[in-house]
Amino acid sequence: MTGSSVKSWPKMTSREEFRFLADLVLTRSSGDHTMVKLHDLHSGTTRFANNQVVQNVDTRRGTLAVTVAFGRRHGTASTTDFTAGSVQETLKRAERIARVSPDDPEYLPPPRSQSFAACETARPETEIAGPARRLEYANEAIGQCRMENLLAAGIVSSSVTSVGIAANNGLFGCETRTDARFSLTVQAGEATGWNAAAHRSIDHLKIQERTLAAIQKAKRGREPSELPPGQYPVVLEPAAVAGLWTWLLWSLDAKSYQKGTSPFAGKLRERMVDKRLTLANAPGHADLFGVGFTADGLPSGPSTWIDHGVLTQLAYDRFTAQAQGVQVIPTLEAPVLSVHGAACGTVQDLVKRTDRAILVTNFWYIRSVNPTNLTLTGMTRDGTFLVDKGEIVCAVKNFRFHDSPLRAFQQIDAWTTPMEAVTAETGKMLAPAMVLPQFHFSSVTRF
Amino acid sequence: MGTPTWDELAELALRRITASGAEYGDVRIQHSVTEAIHGEDRRIASVSNIEDSGFGVRVLYHGAWGFAASSILSLEEVPRVADLAVEIAKGSASIATEKVRLAEEPVHRDRVVTPCRIDPFSIALEKKTDLLLNTMDALHRQAGIVRSSAGLWARRDRKLFLSTEGTHLEFDLLAGQGDCTATALHDGRFSSRSFNTPHLRTGYELIEEADFPREAPRVAGQAVEKVQAPAVEAGLYDLILDPEHLSLTMHESCGHPSELDRALGYEANYAGTSFLTTDKQGSFRFGSPHVTLVADNTEPQTLAATGYDDDGVACQQWDIVRDGIFVGYCTNREVAPQIGETRSRGSNRADGWGSVPIVRIANIGLAPGAATLDQLIGDVKRGIAIEGHGSYSIDQRRYNFQFGGDAFWLIENGRRTHMLRDVIYHGITPEFWNSCDGVADRSFRRRYGFITCGKGQPGQSGWMTHAASPARFRQVAVIRGEGRS
Repeated sequence: MTGSSVKSWPKMTSREEFRFLADLVLTRSSGDHTMVKLHDLHSGTTRFANNQVVQNVDTRRGTLAVTVAFGRRHGTASTTDFTAGSVQETLKRAERIARVSPDDPEYLPPPRSQSFAACETARPETEIAGPARRLEYANEAIGQCRMENLLAAGIVSSSVTSVGIAANNGLFGCETRTDARFSLTVQAGEATGWNAAAHRSIDHLKIQERTLAAIQKAKRGREPSELPPGQYPVVLEPAAVAGLWTWLLWSLDAKSYQKGTSPFAGKLRERMVDKRLTLANAPGHADLFGVGFTADGLPSGPSTWIDHGVLTQLAYDRFTAQAQGVQVIPTLEAPVLSVHGAACGTVQDLVKRTDRAILVTNFWYIRSVNPTNLTLTGMTRDGTFLVDKGEIVCAVKNFRFHDSPLRAFQQIDAWTTPMEAVTAETGKMLAPAMVLPQFHFSSVTRF
Repeated sequence: MGTPTWDELAELALRRITASGAEYGDVRIQHSVTEAIHGEDRRIASVSNIEDSGFGVRVLYHGAWGFAASSILSLEEVPRVADLAVEIAKGSASIATEKVRLAEEPVHRDRVVTPCRIDPFSIALEKKTDLLLNTMDALHRQAGIVRSSAGLWARRDRKLFLSTEGTHLEFDLLAGQGDCTATALHDGRFSSRSFNTPHLRTGYELIEEADFPREAPRVAGQAVEKVQAPAVEAGLYDLILDPEHLSLTMHESCGHPSELDRALGYEANYAGTSFLTTDKQGSFRFGSPHVTLVADNTEPQTLAATGYDDDGVACQQWDIVRDGIFVGYCTNREVAPQIGETRSRGSNRADGWGSVPIVRIANIGLAPGAATLDQLIGDVKRGIAIEGHGSYSIDQRRYNFQFGGDAFWLIENGRRTHMLRDVIYHGITPEFWNSCDGVADRSFRRRYGFITCGKGQPGQSGWMTHAASPARFRQVAVIRGEGRS
């Protein structure tokens, strides 16, 4: 592929262009409050399966959303057409909705002008990565699998997004964010092995290293034994830990807490999990997807959510925060889960010190079973093994689990330092691999 | 020079594709309007009107795909995107070892319009917000209700499809839906009960006929009864599953495994593969003789009945499971020839102009049987009747599943008695469908649609409708959804 496509790429909406578009709306709005949001995305994905490229796409989508309020009556309209006439028509649509909407007792005007900390949300190497780079990476993964007579399925993707927010009370923010992803499932007959990465920088995807790891998992997964369901000690790799913890993070909504419809109801400032566990937001961490500002136009910043096992923070909408007297609303877009105390270096080190356990690479299709106590279910996937006397002795057929992270993480026996963890169903976080003394597998599948 | 028409823009893209030497190409130009009104706890939390327009160009060059799309509809952008799609396809071809071959399809020239009595976009917004506020008020009149929600959703898609083969299709499609939910709190527990219309391709008459003011007191009362109900005792039960509940069971355990791209490994890295491997077609006993699952993308009002799919293939009806035997897949023009079929089933859909079409589940429905609902229940000694959707999860080959529901009633000695809570059932797909020993007749048939079926990378939301009459399943394993049971 030639480099000519790079030259013809569309220019993303710049800070100045967003200010121009925002002014086009803000200076013409008849509303008491008006907010404009920009989301201008240019993304591409090379997808492969059976060692072939099956899908190779590139999409540019710009969206401008306008919210207008008259008193407490508000409405939102959006468009993907950035021509002046369309932008002004979008404002009129938002005004029409707001005029006839009922009063919203929870409506708050946009935040006033904010100071947003500089955050390295964009990496130039990802911005300029195009179809050729993605294809090169895909080919690298496919090539390694072909050499092993295995089948590769996966994706290489990269994107750049201009994100902006502006309001008629002076609020203004605009930043560029990049995102690069690689995930790979290697099939060795019936067995599968998996690995994945997500980063602001496409240079950080480590294709070769992750492909070899997935190949190893797939090869080891052949001829799985079937174990009965029941309680087992588990070694959870970081992706498996992240899968469970993501559901915990999604359940931290403060309004549900106040209404009594939260698994945490009445438990703020109480110990929820093992006292050595701490969950924090680290938007400045180079390996995470921190942002300068939120969708509400509030600044992101470091914060602690669970401190030595104690729940210290909730996820507030602006109305609930004001009602509860919360001055600064914390964000949680760049979670880091860590364990206090001496950590093992690698997952292999954890395995070596484990007498008997099930090693879980990843969970799949995690869903809530009981929101009152956060009981979840899901399947193990792409690498489930029996550990015996410090060694992986065989692959085992995949289990369905039925357990609550609030129970499972009451005690952890061993752990690593936090590592990059990303799954197909969750965002990215830093999480350690952990050994838990008891985890409930409720049934077994056929493979 | 005036604003170019969609046809002019599409023809411009097709000329670039043809000039490149590509063997096939198509262009979809689409303008979608979505109105979403969301109420929460007796207030209207958001009203949005979303306009989304753009075009996507798909190119098959030397047997390999390229796709590019843009929200900028202009004479400058169209050739840029068309050329980019060609260039991406050439890149794919440079490392391809096997070439894509498309199944033949007649050239179509047609216009498809959703019939409707009342255009949902013509209804005054105040009337809609009043309906939602009144519905939430009615939910809260029931003691014990602590939270509520209610919503209305409507969508109009105007689309143009042109291919290098000469197919020219225009679409003007509508879809709509409404719902409400009440959440009750009791003794530290909370649980919800919902009422929703199906997602259907019809007008606002769907909402008017649903009669939310009538349904809200029932929903709220059942939410309170549910949260106070005894938890189920784990064990084996006969299940009577209602059509709304079955729509999800069918979707997950039959719909997805019948997608041929999954069976061929295309989704191995994300949505997964399928236990319905190609060697099973025509001989595998998927279910009991009571189980016939029909794919019907021609039934009016259903979500996948769009006249033609995004391959430009006419919508069709066919069997997935006939008298319990697995006989057919959902296919597109790319994968159909790989199992020796000469024509696609027309089940290739994209979720918008910016996405490449992929094989999606058709409108798969359970064929009606001969029983009445009373007859199904009357022959149950110890069972549970389940309505609506709850927790759901299934493995990546669609063998091991687990489902909850929205409401549960204990059946004892042929009579529905009181509500239960925390009912979860699990099983292995073919064992479960082989335990089906009765399906109610056509008079009990209902339809439910999905608009958030996740598949593909980048992820896309698929739309389809599943119809069923209530059905009975014998001796299914039930556990308590409270925790480790």
